[in-house]
Amino acid sequence: MSDTAFNKRVELALSDSSLHIALERVTSRFTTLRHNGFASLPHADEVRDRARLIRAHTLSRLDSYLAQFANSVEAAGGRVHWAADTAAANGVVVELAKERGAKTVVKGKSMVSEETHLNRALEAAGITVVESDLGEYIIQLAGETPSHIIAPAIHKTKEQVGQLLHEKLGIPLTDDPAQMTAAARAKLREVFLTADMGVSGVNFGVAQTGTICLVENEGNGRLTTSAPRIHVALMGIERLVPTLDDLSIMLQVLARSATGQKLSVYTNLITGPRRREEPDGPGDLHIVLVDNGRSRILGTRLAEILYCVRCGACLNACPVYQQIGGHAYGSVYPGPVGAVLTPALEGIDPWSELPQASSLCGACREVCPVRIDIPRMLLELRDESHRAGLTPLWLKVGLPIYRFVATRPALFKLASTLARWVTRPLASQGWLTRLPPPLSGWTDHRDFPALAARPFSDQLRDKHRKGAKTQSYTKTSS
Amino acid sequence: MKPDRDSMLERIRKSLQSAYLPAAREAIPPRPWPTLQPALGLGALADSFTREAAALGVTVHRPESEAQATEAVLAVLRESGGNEILAWADSDLAVRGLGEAIRAAGFTRLDPTVPRDPAPHREKLAELGRAVVGVTGALGGLADTGTLALLTGPTRSRMASVLPPIHIALLPLSRIYSTMAAFFTLQSHLVGSGSNLVFITGPSRTADIELTLTIGVHGPKAIHIVLIP
Repeated sequence: MSDTAFNKRVELALSDSSLHIALERVTSRFTTLRHNGFASLPHADEVRDRARLIRAHTLSRLDSYLAQFANSVEAAGGRVHWAADTAAANGVVVELAKERGAKTVVKGKSMVSEETHLNRALEAAGITVVESDLGEYIIQLAGETPSHIIAPAIHKTKEQVGQLLHEKLGIPLTDDPAQMTAAARAKLREVFLTADMGVSGVNFGVAQTGTICLVENEGNGRLTTSAPRIHVALMGIERLVPTLDDLSIMLQVLARSATGQKLSVYTNLITGPRRREEPDGPGDLHIVLVDNGRSRILGTRLAEILYCVRCGACLNACPVYQQIGGHAYGSVYPGPVGAVLTPALEGIDPWSELPQASSLCGACREVCPVRIDIPRMLLELRDESHRAGLTPLWLKVGLPIYRFVATRPALFKLASTLARWVTRPLASQGWLTRLPPPLSGWTDHRDFPALAARPFSDQLRDKHRKGAKTQSYTKTSS
Repeated sequence: MKPDRDSMLERIRKSLQSAYLPAAREAIPPRPWPTLQPALGLGALADSFTREAAALGVTVHRPESEAQATEAVLAVLRESGGNEILAWADSDLAVRGLGEAIRAAGFTRLDPTVPRDPAPHREKLAELGRAVVGVTGALGGLADTGTLALLTGPTRSRMASVLPPIHIALLPLSRIYSTMAAFFTLQSHLVGSGSNLVFITGPSRTADIELTLTIGVHGPKAIHIVLIP
């Protein structure tokens, strides 16, 4: 196997035992919660079909819905900014902050802002940025990036978080999540009450009313979008639904897929800035519509990835994510959705390995609330990667050799006899646990079943001689 | 601004010509299952609402009279141990004389109006941060999830339901809807009449540290819903 940066990150993840514990706990818990969440939904399959239809319909008329949305926002008194790329998006926010004399920005969770690296841009302009989602706050203190779309700090054990808060906030060392949460609450409350500007993401924009919808559990989103004088919301251009009724459908599947809740604690619907006669809320509302490659994806065979509602269910279901976690992917969006979205947004060249990091088992498609066919698109990307000449050397050389051998029965038989003969001394109790390089790339982290003492073709021939029935072949072949 | 808008929309239009998407340009058909369930009576809706909200850790009070409702609110206020509260106007509270009773019991209602200029804005928020209880009405309740719907307005602040550690909401039984879809069907014209409509489903919570559920992060850790008959 090649010694790429991706492989090194995977290597690192696989040998991190506390990461393994954290991943095991989290992905299995999320999976159970999601299952229970959907059990409580009447017509669950029909609702998911409808959610998919809503996404497909919206995207197929994205230009008109986006224009309608922008007009509705402006009619409600909000300002709309059109950002073609990350530089434009960050530029809008930094300019607004400077223009309005904002020194401190409090942020609600926003994956788009991770995509644009907004924090870096604001800090470069001398503006203090504080993440307010507890998970985001933890990784900001640690100087890390999110490892899961909806639970950014799940790669950390509570002991690690306790140590971090002890060092950074000077609170007594604890492994009690309630105490850590209380400490973070006290610290962040100060920030909410003094920040000049709140920056949030957007889960859905409603074209009909110009409403932005933000779901969250902690109340940090509610405070970020209500306490400061200025609210700036970053929104991918694909995150639209036509009507409030469509929104209610999407909300029925979003929280259930993410955390198993019927509804998140806070479903914020924001339509325009604080009205003249209202007692509180930001006087300025700015919505930054971020393209950053999305309009290009729309014209390709990967357009379906734009249905994604960022619930994170495919991460939890993925046997690869379960082993390596989010950081190993090296991209802003991890897991199966990230393996499609990242090369789609940024090009296949630096990310050709991500579509390979999948067994194509289809678990992601199975749990996706809008039934995105991720495996199909992973294959599209593998194809694209091959066409771009990005196939690794061992595969480029290895596959033709394999094909040459496998299509010649006599040669194949010889090769398998040889392989059995060579590997027999290495096997213990039916498993190969260590192979020499380059095959060690497999056995470093996985065992390989030892080759059968008698090849299948031999066993088959014996059966034929004995006149056994065809049904029994598979049972005796091992 | 305009050129950015036009060029972005133009790029989308161009991409849509070659988009690999299922044919879904037709309008979305009406949903095949009923949105409104007239068969469910008020009692059943209230029971479902109570069950769902209680399962999330919300305390649901079901007084039989306005006097009992007032008493329930005062009991929570007294128990809070504090004196300053954030409340919506008397006319938003759905119980006649409740505002008067709160004043008579000696609680101070902070003026919720946050100035727009930076320095007084900060000062005011610091003052509001002292409130121990927020008292609000509600535009509606959702029976299938135990959810409160709160809409901002001239006398209805956002801060009352998010800043204090305890939130009391007064919800008339007649405003409970079966689902969010039913609520939107009947009340969608109100969305946008205020800048903020929030659906609150249980107390503030997080599970960001090892998925350990912790109640009361940035929003209230205790919610009392008083169902008004």
